[in-house]
Amino acid sequence: MFPIVLLSVFAVVLLFLGFLKSRSVLLPATLLFLVAALVANFLDWNKTYLYFNSMLRTDNLSMVFTAIVLLSSFLVVALSGSFEDDEAAQPAEYYAIILFSLVGAIMMIGYENLVMLFVGVEILSVAMYILTGSDKRNLRSNEAALKYFLMGAFATGIMLFGMALLYGASGSFTLAGIASYASHAQQGLSLIFYVGLLMLLVGLLFKVSAAPFHFWTPDVYDGAPTIFTAYMSTVVKTAGFAALLHLLAASFTYVYSFWGIILAVVTAITLIAGNVTAVYQNSFKRMMAYSSISHAGYLLIGLAALSAQSRQAIVFYSLAYSIATISAFGVLMLVTRQRGMQTLSSNPLSNESFDAFNGLAKQNPLLGLAMATSMLSLAGIPLTAGFWGKFYMFSTAVERGQIWLLVVAVLMSAVGIYYYFRVIIAMYFRDGATEPIRISPVFRYVLVAAIILTIGLGVAPGLLQGLF
Amino acid sequence: MLSDFGTLLLFILAAFAFIALVLFGARFLRPDRPNIEKNSTYESGEEPVGNANIQFNIRFYVVALVFVLFDVELVFLFPWATVFGQARLIEATGGRWGWFALTEVILFVVVLALGLAYVWAKGYLDWVKPQPKLPTVETKVPMDLYKQVNERFK
Amino acid sequence: MQPTQDVLIPEVIQQIPLTYYLILSTVLFIIGIIGVLTRRNAIIIFMSIELMLNAVNLLLIAFSSYKSDSAGQVFVFFIMAVAAAEVSVGLAIIVMIYRNTRSIDVGLLNKLKW
Repeated sequence: MFPIVLLSVFAVVLLFLGFLKSRSVLLPATLLFLVAALVANFLDWNKTYLYFNSMLRTDNLSMVFTAIVLLSSFLVVALSGSFEDDEAAQPAEYYAIILFSLVGAIMMIGYENLVMLFVGVEILSVAMYILTGSDKRNLRSNEAALKYFLMGAFATGIMLFGMALLYGASGSFTLAGIASYASHAQQGLSLIFYVGLLMLLVGLLFKVSAAPFHFWTPDVYDGAPTIFTAYMSTVVKTAGFAALLHLLAASFTYVYSFWGIILAVVTAITLIAGNVTAVYQNSFKRMMAYSSISHAGYLLIGLAALSAQSRQAIVFYSLAYSIATISAFGVLMLVTRQRGMQTLSSNPLSNESFDAFNGLAKQNPLLGLAMATSMLSLAGIPLTAGFWGKFYMFSTAVERGQIWLLVVAVLMSAVGIYYYFRVIIAMYFRDGATEPIRISPVFRYVLVAAIILTIGLGVAPGLLQGLF
Repeated sequence: MLSDFGTLLLFILAAFAFIALVLFGARFLRPDRPNIEKNSTYESGEEPVGNANIQFNIRFYVVALVFVLFDVELVFLFPWATVFGQARLIEATGGRWGWFALTEVILFVVVLALGLAYVWAKGYLDWVKPQPKLPTVETKVPMDLYKQVNERFK
Repeated sequence: MQPTQDVLIPEVIQQIPLTYYLILSTVLFIIGIIGVLTRRNAIIIFMSIELMLNAVNLLLIAFSSYKSDSAGQVFVFFIMAVAAAEVSVGLAIIVMIYRNTRSIDVGLLNKLKW
């Protein structure tokens, strides 16, 4: 609750800080605000509260999710470098929008009422539409924003219709009210309850880009400025999965037999669609977009199983995924910026292809190491955080007895290794015309922190255990 | 006693009466000096007749967007108003309810006002007239020569 | 006048069965979906989405009246306010695209392909 209030105030302050002449104050201010919100987040630690007439709830799980979201945005903001190389950029607005969108994300994490879920989803999505289109002169960015907006609004409409039907069936928007209605599943529930649940799920699955609702993802991730792609693919996904987890665990456990199998099928489709299509990509950024779809698939395993371990598995996985993704996009930003200067970017696409990484590790060992660590983590190689994330996920599926899903997931992780290793091979075994890339100190800190976190969690995954 | 529709009818009649009163009152009070500009439908200068499918000035969009936002946010004041005036709540809290509700809505409006202040300070509400572009010609004839010619044949 | 209005208003509405409201808003919603899927003009797609949202509003109001529960109507207020925010962002995006391409046909936007 505290982070919501603090971030709202900070965002307004930041908006007005933008009127100052110097831009240099914005980045430290934003980072400071995020740290303050992170500290305030833990004030309620080990207590469970309901706020605002039982609209929002804080417990340890929601606080951990909030912390992940805040940590990811801290890393992303630190990597943004206050947009100093872009004259047309409006950093104050960007940072303010990021803070506002975090408010939405935290609402999605801690809601107790469908109204809050809707408002949270919309705050986050509308902010994302703006950030996607923030490169105003760039047609690709424009197109991505329009696609994202139209598809997102469409999905919102479907989600709302689902909520309305759930309300019609159960007479309540609160999760507890819906759960008490669903607990009469033995006597038979009205048809509109099931239709409503399906539509609500479709809306939320769209937001986390699960197949078959993933068509917007590659275009949007590709067209958006890289820094905001990093933000979208981590924060939106984490918040979306927190929302789904809370929704299903709090309200719909009684009708698991209905949605469990549907979600399992969606999981399998997502895993296959994401991983197989990622193999065929030539642009690193598009590959990362498909990779994010496939990771949505892995996260869905925990939801489709919804066992006692699911919460922990989803928390761990989203943390590992967020850190790895942010550091990968950070390296990509550095590389494209440098290549863009070298070639004067005749074709913007070529900057983001795999060839851009050729020989990177020889001249820039740190960048090579950061990228290699995050690729290994995303691929799920042991001694990285991603391995344990996948391990926990798979064990939830085993617990539920969904062996066929487990087989699909393991096969698809093997496919994933192929395209993640393409980057590593390009960096370490190919020759490319590279000169050392100048890395600003902030970048260096963020990348080193990401490496340490990824390997640390990979060596000692128990660090997060027992927190909630 | 009036039925609900009777109340509605009274409301409609009162609205007509109010409009009539205001319009005729203004008619007697104002000076009456019409001209073409004043009689046109939109004094801002838009042509009321013609193809509607033309490009409007882009600044209309910004103002319209800002208007839509603030206009719709005020929808929250209606449910607030019904709760604010509930005698039961006021009695139950010994009058503190009114102040509490008032503070809350003031907070809400202040946030909106901050948004407006932001738009204002950013200059999106300024209606800047386009700067007339003077044509520049590259010529070896100095400017003051033209001026002298202009002066002489004034 | 004296029977309190809380009871009176639903009675007026309840002269039409709830199923009719359900069917009406479903039909409106489906018209909206068809509009989104078939039209190519961004503004018209946008209007179709608004139609979908308003179908939801109608449905919520109907449920809310039948259950004599105000939560549904409060939700409608939230939908309206959020839809307004969405409209402004959406129109801003469309204006931005129009400035760059002089067109709002979504078929012309094909820079990004998988």
